[in-house]
Amino acid sequence: MFATLLAASLSLCAAGDTTITLHAVTVSSQRQHDVQMRSSQASVQVGADYLQDHFAGSLMQTLEAIPGVKAMSIGSGQSKPAIRGLGFNRIVVSEDGIKHEGQQWGADHGLEVDQFAVDRAEVVKGPAALLYGSDAIGGVLNLYTNHIPTSALEGTARLFCRSNNAQLGLSAKVGGCHGRFFYRANATLIDYGDYRVPTDSIEYYSYYVRLPNRRLRNTAGLERDGSVMVGYAGYRFHADIRVSDSYSHSGFFADAHGMEVRLSKIDYNRSSRDIDVPSQWVNHFNVLGHASWHTARFAADGRVAYQRNVREEHSEPVAHGYMPRPSGTLERRFVKDTWSGNAFVRWQPSGQHELQAGVCGEWQRNRRGGWGFVMPDFDAWSGGVYAMEQYRPTQALMLQAGMRCDVARTHILSYTDWYATPVAGTSVYMQRSADLCRRFSSMTWSAGMAYSLGEWVVKANAGKSFRVPIPKELGADGINYHVFRYEQGNAALDPEECYQLDAAVYYNGRRLAIRVEPYASYFPNYIYLSPTLEGVEGLQLYRYTQASVGRCGIEAAADWHVDSHWTAQLAAEWLYARQQSGPMRGYTLPFSTPWSVRPGIRYSYVWHGEGYVGLDADIVGRQSEIVPPEKPTASHWTLNATAGKHIPLPRGMLHLTLQAENLLNRRYYDHTSYYRLIDVPEPGFGVSFMLGWEF
Amino acid sequence: MRYINILPIAMLCALCTACSSDNDDRDMQPPVISTDGIVANPVDCQVYHRGDTIPFAYVFTDDHELGNFQIEVHSNADHHNHAGAAGACQFDEDSEPVNPWHYNPDTPFTIPEGLKHYEARMLIAIPDSVDTGDYHFSIRLYDRVGWSAHLPISIKIAE
Repeated sequence: MFATLLAASLSLCAAGDTTITLHAVTVSSQRQHDVQMRSSQASVQVGADYLQDHFAGSLMQTLEAIPGVKAMSIGSGQSKPAIRGLGFNRIVVSEDGIKHEGQQWGADHGLEVDQFAVDRAEVVKGPAALLYGSDAIGGVLNLYTNHIPTSALEGTARLFCRSNNAQLGLSAKVGGCHGRFFYRANATLIDYGDYRVPTDSIEYYSYYVRLPNRRLRNTAGLERDGSVMVGYAGYRFHADIRVSDSYSHSGFFADAHGMEVRLSKIDYNRSSRDIDVPSQWVNHFNVLGHASWHTARFAADGRVAYQRNVREEHSEPVAHGYMPRPSGTLERRFVKDTWSGNAFVRWQPSGQHELQAGVCGEWQRNRRGGWGFVMPDFDAWSGGVYAMEQYRPTQALMLQAGMRCDVARTHILSYTDWYATPVAGTSVYMQRSADLCRRFSSMTWSAGMAYSLGEWVVKANAGKSFRVPIPKELGADGINYHVFRYEQGNAALDPEECYQLDAAVYYNGRRLAIRVEPYASYFPNYIYLSPTLEGVEGLQLYRYTQASVGRCGIEAAADWHVDSHWTAQLAAEWLYARQQSGPMRGYTLPFSTPWSVRPGIRYSYVWHGEGYVGLDADIVGRQSEIVPPEKPTASHWTLNATAGKHIPLPRGMLHLTLQAENLLNRRYYDHTSYYRLIDVPEPGFGVSFMLGWEF
Repeated sequence: MRYINILPIAMLCALCTACSSDNDDRDMQPPVISTDGIVANPVDCQVYHRGDTIPFAYVFTDDHELGNFQIEVHSNADHHNHAGAAGACQFDEDSEPVNPWHYNPDTPFTIPEGLKHYEARMLIAIPDSVDTGDYHFSIRLYDRVGWSAHLPISIKIAE
């Protein structure tokens, strides 16, 4: 049991799913204590039941209920994960043990994951370079879609809708096993209209923009996802292969995309469901093969994946600066191919010791197209080896330590404008990106302990993580329409490093469960996009620089089971960041999460099946710690209600989930939303509903 | 159990000490482009002529220290920008630019160091041969930290 529990705690380079499938653990579970003792790092696991009961329109909004996790809204109702205030390429999103490449790549599209295919999710808070390599500086979001069916035919059909953007979705999942062979298939279709906000106008770039019907014009979209998996699950040997594809197409809010407010000939108010330019489509195709073999004391595991990310941005062709009017609407196209693989072996020489060693490798190729330049073509490869040991001198104490070595090489290809710019009386085709080859290497480590005493568990962990600069940071030279600035890379950047000290105290009583998780970290060379006193193409120029940064924060949560019906919850988080050097010394980091407290109550009952109703408040503090071009954001609070019912059927179970957001229809801003910069308030009152049939 | 509680408390104390080095003489306000006390030029809907000189005059202020400013002029012949602020100007018919005037100095104009108030004045000559029509005159002001202010102005160039 001990070995299998340990096995389950290791994921990306070490997905332990071959040995154990007891993962449906929620915050209030009795197994919590055992889960907490698996690793010296703070992590939260949520299972299928939790994801269903807390369904809030999108997976990220559902996970936002976990203290320390934030859905950074990037427009059009889509959001990206942030853990402890760090997002994008400072966290790793992994799907079944392989780093998801869509995430780190663009800042302005959603998760590119079929959220209804996810069986369970795990959030690792804090740096986790030891197992995950580069990028896992802020944390890891592990998504698992590899639950093995246990009957000949099982599945779920779901219908869901959301009032705010008139969203309608259908999702179906089927699976089955025949002897030792199994299969799974999943399909999801989502269609939504323009996003609604509680305001008649917004101020953008010193202009007032009217919003007829209180809609953000042209933010409608659609999503289509599908996946198929087949596998063999033997007693010692397991193998599976999964093919998935995720496609989404959506418009950009027409008045907030581009360099200035545009007086377009397009009638954006014609329909709230059509997608006009500016728009984007994104596709993520993934093939993942996985095999593992284990005995009582030994396990080996390997996986290989191919991912293809395609993204196109379309805009109305207009001349600007020295660029003449281009011929088509294709402004940007990116195609990225990624091959990745990882393998590990685990050996348990005695009941007290467990050793694990692994290797990871990745190769990437990115090619661009379209008339607008922002990111150069690149080829990149990286590799890493690690070893770690867990030692349990007694049942109550677990010690772990490990080291890792990584090397990476990034080759950025040169890019020259397709139009000429007059320079000193002649016409020059300006080079925007020079041919550049950089090699990086890094040595990281982690050490920690977990100690249990009765109902208490205490953990502490210290570690070093790193992040290889992404090609955008090295070689960008173009406009970021979503933050309204001109961004320029810096070819001389060093790998970003982070030293972090984490602690956690858990109390798992019969009626009361408490989690307290403080942390402090230091980045000697945080890669920061710093404002300059220059402008390019009508926007302020921001250039990537490195500054030392100190961060600290704390998350706390308490669950109190008052009696068999009532449960009270309280969750809170706070974080602080300061740049200690560089041009912005004394300032915070962008999109700093303000403090928040979330109290809630829930009444559960049994009447023709289980059911519940809940009410929670979201109280968020003022954020006046800002950096250019941000604005301070006022404090706010909202009330949200939730209800659910599980009705047993002759075959299977019917699930109903209802979420009502912002009951008092309050108008407020979210400091971490991209639309905050253009004063777009968060959605008002809205309802989302899900009907699911599980058989 | 008492020992267990010491660790997080000690850590919190350490965090609080580490994090309480706030210095609040930080510049948290963007600079301001204004017309206070002067006759500012150019302003919305003004008409200039080819070969004219624009007598640029604006007042820049900041609560800490001013940085640089930039001026850019480009054709607005296709009216791709400038959805009207209150009281939009009368635009000409849309047209394809032939020889549009594009004024975009490579380096920003500097403001002497240490100033909180600065009156920017300069003469900007409009070339003789450029297209007539609607133009976009944009002023961009930065303070020393990088906060910025932007004032877009619609002007027209006539024969």
